[in-house]
Amino acid sequence: MSTFVYMTRCDGCGHCVDICPSDIMHIDETIRRAVNIEPNFCWECYSCVKACPNHAIDVRGYADFAPMGHSVRVRREEEKGTISWKIKFRNGNEKNFVSPITTKPWGKFIPKLAEEASPDQGEINSQRLYTEPNGLNIDGDLPTISKDTFKKGVYY
Amino acid sequence: MAKVKTHFEESDVLIVGGGMAGTGATFEARHWGKDLKIICVEKANIDRSGAVAQGLYAINCYMGMQWNENQPEDHVRYARNDLMGMVREDLGYDMARHVDSTVHMFDEWGLPMMKNEKTGRYLREGKWQIMIHGESYKPIVAEAAKKSADKIYNRIMITHLLMDDKKENRIGGAVGFNMRTGDYHVFRAKTVIVAAGGASHIFKPRAVGEGMGRTWYAPWSNGSAYALPIAVGAKMTQMENRIVLCRFKDGYGPVGAYFLHLKTYTQNANGENYEKKWYDHTKNLVGEYIDHHPTPTCLRNHAFIQEVMAGGGPIHMVTTEAFQDPHLETVGWENFLGMTVGQAVVWASQNIDPKYTNPELTTSEPYVMGSHATCSGAWVSGPEDLSPPEYFGVITEC
Amino acid sequence: MITNNPFSGLSEIISPIAMQGFAIAMIALVAIGTLIDIIHKKNVKYFFDNAKKAKKSAKIHLSTRQRTSVILKTVAHDIATTAELGRGKRRVAHVLGMYGTIIFWVTSVLLIFSFPTAGSSTPSSLTIMWHVGAIMTCLGGFWFWLFLRVDVLAEAHPWYRIIKADLFVLALLACATFGLAWSYTQFSGVIELSYLFLVLYITSNLVLFGGVYWSKFAHMFYKPGAAIQKNLAEADGSRDNLPPLADAPKQFGLGIKREQPKHY
Repeated sequence: MSTFVYMTRCDGCGHCVDICPSDIMHIDETIRRAVNIEPNFCWECYSCVKACPNHAIDVRGYADFAPMGHSVRVRREEEKGTISWKIKFRNGNEKNFVSPITTKPWGKFIPKLAEEASPDQGEINSQRLYTEPNGLNIDGDLPTISKDTFKKGVYY
Repeated sequence: MAKVKTHFEESDVLIVGGGMAGTGATFEARHWGKDLKIICVEKANIDRSGAVAQGLYAINCYMGMQWNENQPEDHVRYARNDLMGMVREDLGYDMARHVDSTVHMFDEWGLPMMKNEKTGRYLREGKWQIMIHGESYKPIVAEAAKKSADKIYNRIMITHLLMDDKKENRIGGAVGFNMRTGDYHVFRAKTVIVAAGGASHIFKPRAVGEGMGRTWYAPWSNGSAYALPIAVGAKMTQMENRIVLCRFKDGYGPVGAYFLHLKTYTQNANGENYEKKWYDHTKNLVGEYIDHHPTPTCLRNHAFIQEVMAGGGPIHMVTTEAFQDPHLETVGWENFLGMTVGQAVVWASQNIDPKYTNPELTTSEPYVMGSHATCSGAWVSGPEDLSPPEYFGVITEC
Repeated sequence: MITNNPFSGLSEIISPIAMQGFAIAMIALVAIGTLIDIIHKKNVKYFFDNAKKAKKSAKIHLSTRQRTSVILKTVAHDIATTAELGRGKRRVAHVLGMYGTIIFWVTSVLLIFSFPTAGSSTPSSLTIMWHVGAIMTCLGGFWFWLFLRVDVLAEAHPWYRIIKADLFVLALLACATFGLAWSYTQFSGVIELSYLFLVLYITSNLVLFGGVYWSKFAHMFYKPGAAIQKNLAEADGSRDNLPPLADAPKQFGLGIKREQPKHY
């Protein structure tokens, strides 16, 4: 069934509806809580599970091949930059993992390019991308090579 | 029923698709056009849209030029070998020479990169891949697009590109529908970048009930990056190409880190390394390519399929040795949790612990893909310094 | 006007016994409706089955004193301040509406049972609170219904679209609005209108309390139960199979979560 919602935990905030890349998390019309309207188009990407502030969404593996009784739950903590997983096997065995999800404050080290200096025409005419050639961390310019070195492949 | 409204928008640059490519293009476009109006239109929400929704735990291609690990021409040779000559070396070189600076930028932005403790360099799995903790890969890159675009339109599905009715063979923009309000949106633009993703469900997946959703490539990728240009007459290339992947059964969890970092290996039902058996058969099929090192991926997958058809299946990945090392066990599990959580769900449901059980592998259904060691999609000219001069006509008007 | 006791004015045509019988009938309707809902959905049965299953993964065994402490804290904080809604407008609107409704209902019962014929000698604090409760209900309720409903906010449905889920909040708003209109028109002597609003007020109450089986009414019983279970599970370590909070400093700020869920 993929993702499903614990109705007692859902408070109808809409974060799952807003984030779902498959556009399958929507609001049930009888109880105004979230529901997965198309489990067979769920990729189990866990975007909604991670987005839910009340941990109201869980995943059950696809009925085609996944017997019930397992549990894979997650806690994504943006402020701490961590993601924690708890995996419970059907036979009761358990595994826990914690990984980093960022090394810097979110967005702080991404430049606002509109505020930086404009590239000159020489730059625009070149083949360099933003930060190049310095961003390559090599001596010299962006590598290039003579066209004659290429073997003919799929050309028209 | 509410009346459908039509909204008009004008821009200099329109980027169709807000996945990894689209959000990246939005950011890069802002550097070159500080004063241009740049719009990105995405059918879902750029924070998690596209194939990188659940994250990635490797960057499959990093040269490492700063440490003299690889040069772009090395990668060209590798790609030519793996795709048995069906490549454009100029495009391969171009991609390879740029990738390092992009990776360094992601590191700067906060993407956690795994490091080799001894050398301090990015941790490799194999010759070309580096390992990352990429659960939030997409949100980080999407943030760059948010800071760069004049406006990001989420939940708008572009259905058609528009042609300029005054200039022949020239794009004029795109149209689409708002997935929430149902309104019609018309985008007029001077230039359009199509980054709208590959295609799943062209072939039936192996699981056809609820499991239709557990495809290797995301189920919401419905081939817009092909359909949109095809509909306006763009020249496509190698659209007969298909990719079939060898992955863990049912969950389609990735095998890259397993082969390259954990050093696991495959065996058939009799515990044999079966690939050698198919050498002569494959040599008759493709000639010298079977002798190249490394063996092209498609030929290894071909041997897999032949072995299964000959009754040598099920084929397993021998993990019980590698998983005894707690570090490798952690890497093996986290690899899935940040890339294909569904595989962890499958193993938990079937009581498969790779430390004690060798999990089964299978080949996926075929995909049409313009990335990931496939070579189909819209034809592009390539960069002027590398590509054949005949691809660059004289520009008579702009 | 807000010192007017509308029930004593009503007692001139309807006997206090009838009013009191009506109030008791409404309470009975809530009990019956909730009971039928519980039997039909089997939610309470599943709730306790799950709680039993969860106990097996409890890390520590809670004593009665510990359990009582958790329950009291849950009532005083999570339930009393609707903590599950987090920070923001939805919580403010819900708290406003929740306390408004409680005050409105309690003062209604007090007026009907203790001062049905008292007229202007009804304690003004009581009549003021009756009106204040209705006004708070309207403020919180209309704010929620017009602007904050998730199907309007996150799914872009028009504000005038009515679904089954709206039955509870609309009936509640109708009671409060028509109740206020009834009191005002009765006090101002506009007799025909006051009878109209009285009829509407009675009808709204019947819909509100009679519709418990079909509406979201019973959430006011289920949600507190769920909140208590959640905090008990947190306290005994079972935590609904969720991983524990990570042991790391909060140093990176918010990413995706800093924005409202309204990206379209």
